[in-house]
Amino acid sequence: MPDKKSAGAAGRKLIIGLPRALLYDRYRVLWKTFFTELGTDLLVSPPTTLETLNRGTAIAIDEMCLSVKIYLGHVEKLVGNCDYILVPRISNFGIRRYMCTTFEGLFDICGNLFRRTGQKFLSYNIDVTHGLDEESAFVSMAAELGFGKKAASKAYKKAKKAEAEDWKNQVKRQEALYKQDGLKVMIAGHSYVENDAYIGKPVTDFLKSAQVTVLRADVMDRKNALKQGSRLSPTMRWEISREIAGGIYENRKRVDGIILLSVFPCGPDAMTNDMIIRRNDGTPILNLMLDGQSGMAGVETRLESFVDILNFHKNT
Amino acid sequence: MSDSKKKKDAYLGIDVGSISTKGVILNDEKEILSSAYIWTEGNPIGAVKQLVGLLEQQFDKEAYRIVATGTTGSARRLAGTITGATMVKNEITAHAVGTTSYYPETRTILEIGGQDSKIILVENGVAVDYAMNTLCAAGTGSFLSSQSRRLGIDVEDMGEIALRSKNPTQIEARCTVFAESDLVHKIQMGHSKEDIVAGLCQAVVANYLNNVGKGKRIVSPVVFQGGVSKNIGVVKAFEKALHCEIRVDENGHLMGAIGAAILAKSGSVRREFDFSIEDVEFKTREAKCGRCSNKCEIICVYRDGTLIDGWGNRCEKGDVMHRKVG
Repeated sequence: MPDKKSAGAAGRKLIIGLPRALLYDRYRVLWKTFFTELGTDLLVSPPTTLETLNRGTAIAIDEMCLSVKIYLGHVEKLVGNCDYILVPRISNFGIRRYMCTTFEGLFDICGNLFRRTGQKFLSYNIDVTHGLDEESAFVSMAAELGFGKKAASKAYKKAKKAEAEDWKNQVKRQEALYKQDGLKVMIAGHSYVENDAYIGKPVTDFLKSAQVTVLRADVMDRKNALKQGSRLSPTMRWEISREIAGGIYENRKRVDGIILLSVFPCGPDAMTNDMIIRRNDGTPILNLMLDGQSGMAGVETRLESFVDILNFHKNT
Repeated sequence: MSDSKKKKDAYLGIDVGSISTKGVILNDEKEILSSAYIWTEGNPIGAVKQLVGLLEQQFDKEAYRIVATGTTGSARRLAGTITGATMVKNEITAHAVGTTSYYPETRTILEIGGQDSKIILVENGVAVDYAMNTLCAAGTGSFLSSQSRRLGIDVEDMGEIALRSKNPTQIEARCTVFAESDLVHKIQMGHSKEDIVAGLCQAVVANYLNNVGKGKRIVSPVVFQGGVSKNIGVVKAFEKALHCEIRVDENGHLMGAIGAAILAKSGSVRREFDFSIEDVEFKTREAKCGRCSNKCEIICVYRDGTLIDGWGNRCEKGDVMHRKVG
């Protein structure tokens, strides 16, 4: 384990650990650019395996969702190998723009569960209804590491630009996919479920092997996604759920089917997926819940039959 | 050569579910030449071999030969490997194809089996949407059989008992564990057995309509299949809840196998089926792949001691047919 006293502005570069789970997929460009600009090194945990899940399950309490269990497995992998592990606290981006309670408590959960390891955690706190926006959160996080306000502000602006650029490219790539021929299926779920190497990738791999073009509901202009999501339900509480619902509302006419992909027991999905099914316009929809079962048989049965039905539908 | 040319084509369909194993042989006109229905009893390989023997007894080998074989059900892969199937399909597709080829006018297929429940919506003879229970087996056949044990009655008698009830008891069926405690409570409160059994049948229906049937437009004609469709109490509860006639076919339990046979017929592969598999020894072995930290559980299938197939691997590192794993 590195000697923390000699790290930082004085000597050796700081190493910031990034767990490859939960919000990593959403913020990886923002985080990486920000810390690289400040001049720290980064260490990202390797993609999820069964071992990650098993370790996380052992650490977590049993009521946490599968994705949090995976996250804790990633955190454990980083413990002792970096100066700080980044675990943000994100409460909300404003009124009716809340994150799942998990993201409000994650920093405290990690600090508590790994308290005996001596590992330091780094956090930033976004709570717009209490006046804490993203930029000020990043600046005070950098201050904790000994970086000045000016440098932090500059790094944040650069990171924000890189993030916007990356998102624009993702949306562009996805738009090209919408124009493809053949069967198109939209996966509506949290990006940390769909893009996880252990739980989500087998789903997309299976669909691709069945010649299906896979699209992600939430990959679209975020402002518009929130707007469309509000049209589906004006009172939806969760930011990410609203983006996903907005993506469905905007693009469901352009796909052959929708897969609602969620992990057990996801609170926001339990409420919003039900609403999405009830307010669906007739586009075939598959509600697929993933748990820690190591066998893929149940998932494959559901996916295969869904694709069969979409093919029947298309060919008549 | 000339001998086999005289024989007409036939198609074998096998449906190996968690509780029961079903099989049919169809001719080109989709008429049933042989059929059999037995319990799986936790031994899918043994069940398939036994089933093949039963089908053989009713089958006229002089007049027909089986040119294609389809398997379905939760053990479809295993059954497909040991029978040399030309088509391996999931049970939803098989049920939809089987049912719509007999009842093209069908609009809704309700199916409650041993551990799964499904709904399939049909338009113009083609399945257009479906839903299946998600994680748990609440409200399926296994729920009814565990509750019947608690009540000390045979699951086969539940339907008749339920029909005698005038005031079905309200029972919570969202979760089997809660249902069980609710049930015990109602028994101790003094509710009669008929009312409780009728309540259970209604609970199965309510649970089904609120879970797999949620948000689906159930249009008549409605066909009800799967083992639970043999329970007249559940059929009546569906009729009451949906305000329409529920059709239960005497061959309803065979629809998956029929669908598998039809799918095999419409497939492009032809391979003559050999009844001698009854005498072949098939064994499976579970191996843990140690090539990465996913530690996939791989099932290896042996035919008379020779490895013939394997599955369960997440990546090519665990592909037993192309490299040995230990």
